[in-house]
Amino acid sequence: MREPFIHAKDLRYAYTDENGLKQPVLQGLTLDIAKGEYVAILGHNGSGKSTFAKLLNMILEPDSGELVVAGHDLMSEDLTEEDFYALRREVGMVFQNPDNQLVATIVEEDVAFGPENLGVPTAEIRTRVDAALAAVGMTEYARHEPHRLSGGQKQRVAIAGVLAMEPACMLLDEATAMLDPKGRREVIESVEKLNREKGITVLMITHYMNEAARADRVIVMDDGVILMDGTPREVFANPRILQEAGLDVPQCTALVHALREKGIPLDGEPVNAEECAALLLGLLEDK
Amino acid sequence: MAVLSLERVSYVYGEGTPFEIKALDDVSLTVREGSVTGIIGHTGSGKSTLVQLFNGLEKPQGGRVLLDGKDIWAEPKKMRDIRFRVGLVMQYPEYQLFEETIAADIAFGPRNMGLDEAEIGARVAEAAAFVGLSPDVLDKSPFDLSGGQKRRAAIAGVMAMRPEILVLDEPAAGLDPRGRDTILQGICAYGKKTGATVIIVSHSMEDMATYCDDIVVMANAGVVLSGTRDEVFAKAEILTSVGLDVPQITQLCLLLRKQGVALPEGIYTTEAAITALAKILG
Repeated sequence: MREPFIHAKDLRYAYTDENGLKQPVLQGLTLDIAKGEYVAILGHNGSGKSTFAKLLNMILEPDSGELVVAGHDLMSEDLTEEDFYALRREVGMVFQNPDNQLVATIVEEDVAFGPENLGVPTAEIRTRVDAALAAVGMTEYARHEPHRLSGGQKQRVAIAGVLAMEPACMLLDEATAMLDPKGRREVIESVEKLNREKGITVLMITHYMNEAARADRVIVMDDGVILMDGTPREVFANPRILQEAGLDVPQCTALVHALREKGIPLDGEPVNAEECAALLLGLLEDK
Repeated sequence: MAVLSLERVSYVYGEGTPFEIKALDDVSLTVREGSVTGIIGHTGSGKSTLVQLFNGLEKPQGGRVLLDGKDIWAEPKKMRDIRFRVGLVMQYPEYQLFEETIAADIAFGPRNMGLDEAEIGARVAEAAAFVGLSPDVLDKSPFDLSGGQKRRAAIAGVMAMRPEILVLDEPAAGLDPRGRDTILQGICAYGKKTGATVIIVSHSMEDMATYCDDIVVMANAGVVLSGTRDEVFAKAEILTSVGLDVPQITQLCLLLRKQGVALPEGIYTTEAAITALAKILG
């Protein structure tokens, strides 16, 4: 088998609270993610999603277990500073609040910040910045001031900033939570395009079930371990387990389950309105 | 009866500069007493400007804001009273906690109203209960709380002033499904128990469908649709045309109706869809 892009085995992490007590967050997390996957991570607040994400580019260090990311063994004693910087470049992160991650006063300078710090030659930076802004559809805003942009636009600039470092993987930690529906759509579409066209591995932490339904794979975390792992269809087929973990299922999935419980023979697990309509229309035609 | 209304209100940011933006253009609306009213619209539609007019944080450049039929700007010196009557919870209020303990933070508003200590204590306990904060949390520092708990503490701080009208700008933004439901249920419980009017600004049509009696839909600096929840959802096509996301269940019903399925208009909850579809398919 090909080596996975992310390999975690029995991963544990605890933080120390204000009384000096260890509070376990990750309690034996085991997971492999292949290069180029588009994965959504669900879980209520405190389930360990963000902690897991922060371990992946060494914002935090695991207490024990195995963790290999992009070929770097993060638990190895021999991990050098070069590995560390390489990792940060390869695994880029986008956070929740668009106002907290833009540093420059001009959009294109903000996008150039990453590659500048990597010591990329000036001409190359120009190329990368233009390409990154084009990839997220923000070319016409290159010379605008970030604080005058909408939330969705700011997040796309933040994504472009990560992109300009040419990462192999992008982690989005509730990157759409503070956006309106239009902003969310803009960000999701940009990310999906990067996954599709550039083969960037995408890990997207979200509370929006409709967003998770668009990913290739959905991972549900609860109490620092993985509760479910599968295609959106497989995961949303278990509304009870999800609800017990403090999560929802898409409304259409809940509808089909309820109708089935009433004895209506519906085959399949639709996760969006189009699939659900097709399923119901199929049944009506048979009648 | 209308407790709060806007009469032909206009508001322009940066008037006369190159950055001039019309936030509200000749807006009239009424909010029914004791209702939970939702205000929805995409970014830039004027929602946040609107809520700042409700308690006199901003002054309309044209038109009037009426509370119980009286112009709130008739006596600007009495604006403090208006602010006690119309409580405003801004976006991400958890960033506004500043006291050493949660209890002290919630008590800040009532103390400013000049209430005695016993009454303040009672109000803090009552407000904490509305938002589901347990008594042991009250003595903690805001730094020791989760984001969701801090949000609830900040909302309790406004509830403790017992405003007749509680206005909240995106109270559930960024929370997980369970946290979102806890907060919105607490807000509705406050309205029900005290008889107060509640106004919730949100992006989420699904939350509106679950919690609001009346809905005002904003777009392009104006009101495009308003009425009871049923009336508004019956016009789901208008909602999608102004770029709002309707609940997935409403989307489904629109698709099915287009294909000739005899579903009634205005289905916006999973339960209603289950009942209607079970009848057709059963």
